[in-house]
Amino acid sequence: MKTNNLSIHDFSLGIALILISAFFAWQSPVFLSSRNLSMLMIELSITATLALGMLLVILPGHIDLSVGSGVGLTGGIASVLIFQQHWPAALGMLAALAFALVIWFLMGYTIVKERMPAFIITLGGLLIFKGLFWLVIRNSTIPVVEGGSTNLYSLLTTYYLPTSAGWLLGAVCAGLLVVSKVLSVQHRIEYGFEVEDKELLFLKLFLFTQIIFLFVLVMNQFRGIPLPVVILGAVALAVYILTENTPFGRHLYAIGGNPEAAVISGIPVDKVVVGAYCLLGSVVAVTGLMQTAYSGASTTTVGDLMELDAIAACVIGGTSLNGGRGTAVGVLSGALIMACLLNGMTLLAVSPELKFIARGTVLALAVWLDVRLTAAKA
Amino acid sequence: MTAAALLSAKNITKTFPGVTALKDVSFSVNAGEIHALCGENGAGKSTLIKLLSGIHPYGSYDGELQVNGKTARFESVADAEAAGIAVIYQELALVPEMTVAENIFLGAEPSRFGLLDWNKIYRETRSLLEMFHLNLEPTATTKHLGMGQRQLIEIIKALRKDSKILILDEPTAALTETEVDTLIVILKKLRERGIGCVYISHKLDEVFAVADRVTVIRDGASVTTKRTKDIDKADVIRHMVGREIKDLFPRRTAKPGPVLLSVENLTVAEEKGGENALEGISFELRAGEVLGFGGLMGSGRTELLMHLFGAWGWRKKGTVEVDGKRVPKMQPDEAINRGMVLVSEDRKRYGLVLPKAVGFNLSLSSLKRLTRNWLIDSPREFHANKKLFDSLHVKAPSLEAVVGGLSGGNQQKVVIGKALMTEPQVVFLDEPTRGIDVGAKVEVYEIINQITAAGKAVVLVSSELPELMGMSDRILMLHEGSIGGEFKRADATQEKLMAAAMGHSPKR
Repeated sequence: MKTNNLSIHDFSLGIALILISAFFAWQSPVFLSSRNLSMLMIELSITATLALGMLLVILPGHIDLSVGSGVGLTGGIASVLIFQQHWPAALGMLAALAFALVIWFLMGYTIVKERMPAFIITLGGLLIFKGLFWLVIRNSTIPVVEGGSTNLYSLLTTYYLPTSAGWLLGAVCAGLLVVSKVLSVQHRIEYGFEVEDKELLFLKLFLFTQIIFLFVLVMNQFRGIPLPVVILGAVALAVYILTENTPFGRHLYAIGGNPEAAVISGIPVDKVVVGAYCLLGSVVAVTGLMQTAYSGASTTTVGDLMELDAIAACVIGGTSLNGGRGTAVGVLSGALIMACLLNGMTLLAVSPELKFIARGTVLALAVWLDVRLTAAKA
Repeated sequence: MTAAALLSAKNITKTFPGVTALKDVSFSVNAGEIHALCGENGAGKSTLIKLLSGIHPYGSYDGELQVNGKTARFESVADAEAAGIAVIYQELALVPEMTVAENIFLGAEPSRFGLLDWNKIYRETRSLLEMFHLNLEPTATTKHLGMGQRQLIEIIKALRKDSKILILDEPTAALTETEVDTLIVILKKLRERGIGCVYISHKLDEVFAVADRVTVIRDGASVTTKRTKDIDKADVIRHMVGREIKDLFPRRTAKPGPVLLSVENLTVAEEKGGENALEGISFELRAGEVLGFGGLMGSGRTELLMHLFGAWGWRKKGTVEVDGKRVPKMQPDEAINRGMVLVSEDRKRYGLVLPKAVGFNLSLSSLKRLTRNWLIDSPREFHANKKLFDSLHVKAPSLEAVVGGLSGGNQQKVVIGKALMTEPQVVFLDEPTRGIDVGAKVEVYEIINQITAAGKAVVLVSSELPELMGMSDRILMLHEGSIGGEFKRADATQEKLMAAAMGHSPKR
């Protein structure tokens, strides 16, 4: 059987993205400049990386409100160790990562063993980490590197792939996309599952490969593909494979879909949830390092409200806060919408008050649309 | 012509994309009549009810609905309710935290000057409860009541809204025998008051005890409508399945092999320091054997299975040996690793991830075996799923169909399939045929035969004595958490089993 009944639902995120971009491009010609798009991509990479980590704990029906403070804290620990204690950059960054892993393991362990709501534990975390962060940096500004020089830490957001490497990476990604999609369609035909129309499939693959090459072209017009995009790509691929192709991912969906049935099905629910928090912890550390490097220094406001952007990106991307529903691709699209919105409003010099209101409105609208379109489909 | 029926559906055809759920079905209820609706799972009963209750609105089907002889066009559930139709579903729609009175008046609370008129609520609730001879306080919290009492409260709630037509969907699936008797008495009383009642049940004994007429639908078409006087159970079953079921319990005994599970003097409380829920339980289970557990509700049957599977309770005393090796209290994942698996009595709560696909659910317990290099081997998963999907005859469009959309019998097959894929030695089946139709029941019994023929063992818990006697090689009756009697298949009679369940039989 063919499925050609594409509904507006499948495109709604894309349409929203195009509308938002068109609006900003119309209002500010700078929006589509390669320089701005490069910055937009770095900002997207930071938000989206965190949101992908958040997806892993939302899928089994949990939440983490502490990631924003965690971003500040892990970045702050690295800054202090590297800039003030003169540790080698790699070692300082590893220390921050190890710290986050331990802390998130403890939070996850408390949530499952003491049967405490994740909302409460991580709300506590939000406040505690914020306090710890300010203690660690003593309410001052600590740069990631001496002025004028670079280290591994600062390069996180200032390194760009050389042009040729960018093209190579783009070609590899496009090739992988086509091969994996064709293989999956072949498998589905073999299994007798529904597959999409051949022409439509070709069109989709054509479109996506074009987008990849256009992306490389635009990035190369400025300085090349920024390193954070590569990091995001790696995290996104990992989360995608984790959720789609591993027992761990299946278990996340099962726990979120029906926790009691998950236990009876022999899923080690507690271990899986603690594992999800540990993975989120490492993602928080990576995001913290990138965000701090992007700011150039640890200041008291680094990471503020990032937990809400991450949750919003998940929800806009179709993730259910009750658990059991959500995909890596959806979260990426959600993060892209959020990043475009923030970047565009900054370009237009929208006041912070209006920025908050706009972000909130988009979040509410996205969920409303999702609910309506899902209902219309059923 | 006779007087117009209270409610009638004429030549109804309803299609969903790809499926015709109802084909030219006609059905009617008269005032003062109880009309039973029988059919296998997926035969179209639920669809018909959804039409009658306005869930599938006017215009989404062909044919005509009439109330008192006039064409009815229900756009919504509210329209159907306004026309006097009330549906009482299998899954009760009461708020467990609220009191009886609050539930009865939910959504229609009488008020004075904008404040709730509690006097009126309690007065009317009391008189309604008295009318049904229900010895209940209006202020009792609903969650503390038994399933039977809740069912009756649902009915009272419907009648308070002046409903003329009651549709009961599997009203007795979770009721004890006395509760069923009470319900039947009340339905007969309502019949005298001129209320028309549609009674959907898989339990033919009840159908014949209560109904005036019975309509059988099969594969979306109404096969026959007869007065219950003019038809017998065998006929109804034949119409339902379209074939004769010669032997309802086709147990083929297998030769008992070595002991797979041995339980010695097991005493368990719900939690550490709690009262004993199970006391001094000892038994052995051999390969190729079906060991039946019976007992009244609350006798500890489910708790025993859940404890052995590692999902319930605090072990105070006793030993459990699996395959000759002593095992401590463990978690369900360890139990599965040791070759045990549980099919729970509540498939929606403990069995399935309803919003997910059939394939997702089938392989959920066996992912470890289907994984290579950390990744799920998708061809292997597909073939493992496909094998069970086909051999269990799951009726679903494909492995990608959402499991929540399947009928009860097919959902149950998916739960059993998930259990079998773990390649267990011991299968715990807790009420495996609850709420599924005759045809699917026989299929479940066949699966039990296949399990034991393959040298594995089954522990079967059932509250239906004929099933217990028909399918078990040995039967243990539980009485208040202890074993009240043990019977061989040949010696068991309903009377002996019941006596043991009530604690009246000599100890073994």
